[in-house]
Amino acid sequence: MAGLAAAFGSGAMTNSIAELEDADCILVIGSNTTSSHPLVATRIFRAKEKGAKVIVVDPRKIQLVHQADLHVRHNLGTDVALVNGIMHVILANGWHNQAFVDERTEGFEELRGVVEQYTPERTAEITGVSVEDIRTMAEWYAKARASSIVYCMGITQHTTGVDNVKSLANLAMLTGHIGRESTGVNPLRGQNNVQGACDMGGLPNVYPGYQAVNVPENREKFEKVWNAKLSDKVGLTIPGILEGLNSGSVKAVYVVGENPMVSDPDIHHVEKALRSAELLVVQDIFLTPTAELAHVVLPGASFAEKDGTFSNTERRVQRVRQAIKPIGQARADWEIIQDLSTRFGYPMNYESPAAILDEVAQVTPSYGGITFDRLEGDGLSWPCPNSEHPGTKFLHAGRFSRGLGLFHAIEYKPPAEVVDVDYPFWLTTGRVHVHYHTGTMTRNSPSLHEEMPEGFLEINPQDARTLGVKSGDTVRVSSRRGEVLVRVDLTTRVRQGMVFMPFHFVESCANILTNPAHDPIAKIPEYKVCAVTLEKAA
Amino acid sequence: MVEKIKTEVQQLLISGKIKGFLGLREQHGQVGPYLFTDAQDLEGMVIGDRLKPGDSRYPLNKQLMRIARCYPDEVFGVMVRGCDERGLRTLFGSNQLNPEKVVSVGIACPQELADACECLKPFPDEFVAGEPAEARSFQTVAKLDAMEIEDRFKVWLAEFSRCIKCYGCRNICPMCYCKDCTLESRDFLAIGSLPAENPIFHLTRAIHMAGRCIDCGLCNEVCPADIPLRTLYKKIADIVEEEFHYRPGYGEAGTRPSFKILGEDLQH
Amino acid sequence: MEYRTVLTTCTYCGCGCGLYLEVMDGHVVNTIPCKTSPVNEGKLCVKGWNVHEFVHSPKRLTQPLLRKNGELTPVSWDEALDFTVKRLREIREAHGSDCLAFLASAKVTNEENYLIQKFARAAVGTNNIDHCARL
Repeated sequence: MAGLAAAFGSGAMTNSIAELEDADCILVIGSNTTSSHPLVATRIFRAKEKGAKVIVVDPRKIQLVHQADLHVRHNLGTDVALVNGIMHVILANGWHNQAFVDERTEGFEELRGVVEQYTPERTAEITGVSVEDIRTMAEWYAKARASSIVYCMGITQHTTGVDNVKSLANLAMLTGHIGRESTGVNPLRGQNNVQGACDMGGLPNVYPGYQAVNVPENREKFEKVWNAKLSDKVGLTIPGILEGLNSGSVKAVYVVGENPMVSDPDIHHVEKALRSAELLVVQDIFLTPTAELAHVVLPGASFAEKDGTFSNTERRVQRVRQAIKPIGQARADWEIIQDLSTRFGYPMNYESPAAILDEVAQVTPSYGGITFDRLEGDGLSWPCPNSEHPGTKFLHAGRFSRGLGLFHAIEYKPPAEVVDVDYPFWLTTGRVHVHYHTGTMTRNSPSLHEEMPEGFLEINPQDARTLGVKSGDTVRVSSRRGEVLVRVDLTTRVRQGMVFMPFHFVESCANILTNPAHDPIAKIPEYKVCAVTLEKAA
Repeated sequence: MVEKIKTEVQQLLISGKIKGFLGLREQHGQVGPYLFTDAQDLEGMVIGDRLKPGDSRYPLNKQLMRIARCYPDEVFGVMVRGCDERGLRTLFGSNQLNPEKVVSVGIACPQELADACECLKPFPDEFVAGEPAEARSFQTVAKLDAMEIEDRFKVWLAEFSRCIKCYGCRNICPMCYCKDCTLESRDFLAIGSLPAENPIFHLTRAIHMAGRCIDCGLCNEVCPADIPLRTLYKKIADIVEEEFHYRPGYGEAGTRPSFKILGEDLQH
Repeated sequence: MEYRTVLTTCTYCGCGCGLYLEVMDGHVVNTIPCKTSPVNEGKLCVKGWNVHEFVHSPKRLTQPLLRKNGELTPVSWDEALDFTVKRLREIREAHGSDCLAFLASAKVTNEENYLIQKFARAAVGTNNIDHCARL
């Protein structure tokens, strides 16, 4: 989200899901939409039905490729070069929107300087995409009435994740495909309330509503409302917390509903860090591999057992309603935190989640008009600054959140780890349609478990032949960080030299292999690229 | 229209003829299924046409089966359109619901909905609200039938290629009550990747709809990929009628087709 | 007899599909997509259709656990919370607020995330709060 915040001033999906239906060109890059965001895929299907051009950029032959007018399989981690190449063609042909660039943006000359270096031939060499395809993408995207970019973790989970996002923002601004209906740069958030967790200040550098902790006025405002002295020091991100545990500067970790023991890169490193904590408290609904390491485990309530709100990927705040009482002695997480805080000496006495949301509205300008009462019906998309405001369908109409949109001139950098003689295969990771994240919920759902009971490794049949493995065989996959045993699935979804693993399965845990090298700004690990070697298991 | 339903339901509840009425209710700004049990509280009852007729229909018969399984001795009322009535008859015939424990409260669909559904009978035999609309033939089927078979096959392969294997067509279907579903049988269908095995997944389901589908169209509406499943099953229903002179839900309650199996006539 | 349909929002991906949980006698038994939801318009994916299934899983945590002699042992809420508070306080006093860190969650509600970060910032006094937005 840091990339979009830098370019536009707001790190969120610029347009709404339903608007995709009326786009004339959709560029899907680094999103396996039918598996990970099926109800967004619905809108892409419909756009296609209405005549839109659909461009899918993905090293894997994902399902959406069946609907694509053009599928481009670029080399892993070469997104910046590809987008620069597309912009090069757009500028060379005068397909850009000069009026938009003049009126709404800054930094164009710097961008032009870098993009000029990315001739189609050079871009083709880096990315493995043909000159013709680069030209087609440029023409379709630039010349459509309304073009929309959809991206997901295939863009962000790189050491150059922020650069990748900024590049997409560049492309949208260069062509004026932003700030209008059915356009924009649209990151699909992977988890039901990841948008909300960010909005609520579940980040080390900002209070609720992205108000920076190191701006004195913000701190004073929150000190007053919360009646407490607050730290002006930006806190640690997850990689920083893990490093702190290893170095001894962090002693205690309190984890609510997260499972870093499956979800984080280089699991052996994570386990070592968590084991060194003097106090590890885990609040969750299942005894996850992370909870198994804890000193204290607190049973939370599931979404079906409490009231509240989630904010979806299009910034729509929607109600969660209690269907049943919490299971056993489990308690809603807000009640647990409130009780804990009171015992800690900082009393919290909210009557209900509705009362908490009222306080959120008081301190968070973009949620200023959002209350439980107003969420009946279709919910509200932020920004919704006051009680009369209808919410905001798409962002940046007429003006970017930061004023002028900012171009970033970006050079291509290769991934942190590349293949070599010892580790000759590119490994990329992702999700499957039946499972979700670390599988805590889906693998405990019989219907979903039976649909896909175990993990697998996708490998090209040519490579399988070379290794002497056939479908169903088990291979040992090793990276510089660890090794796992996994069943192989022979498929041309992956090209020769590349393999894919879903990361949901703890017993064939892809994140034992992945590289914790992360983006310097967003701290997102490079899950999408690392180097591995394969051998048939005995 | 809904006032007539309310009056009827109120009487049924007050008289004690039914324990509850399964209908639709607008609550929290959305339309959903709801079991009304209090004659004095029928507030929010709707017939499921929020922006256009029939745009918020639900598989009430399927929910009724779930409720009846837990409360086999109670009598429940249920709102029925023409298609739902065909569904009830078929479910009675296959012993999934007990006709003595179900009181249907009928509504006739407006012409706009009958047109959109291409419904052969857009009203139940008895209804308390609405005016009977004219029946419509299956134009969508005729259009596909007019194509060359290779082209038709290509159309279906392209439609199925969007399937995200949500099983929604089966889950929403009031006629899908099997405890073990062939779609989940590993002997027939592979697990794993998307789209669902093309065309085996959808053809398997289509075959299982033969002699069952009552043409309610909920499968079509629930499909995240907008696959025109209803058209596929309409075609299947036409074939069954042609071959076996039977169309599910149109005969008397409890009747089933007579099949000639292994030289014997099996009459139910 | 209890039979209710409860309108809520799916807990899996970021789409935020509207759905009804069917509740029978205290148990969530089924999921039905909400026809009028602006996000999903009566459709769901395979995860959404089965979102009720994990709720009553026998593997759910049903009581607080505390590590005693190396083993996670069932304890009362009072014991678990008092122990947590005592240790948080001890560690803060010995090493300062920034030796404590919190992971909020992309799974819990907005209200809960708000309280978690408020607890970290206002009660404990650290900005060491993050969640897996990056994953």
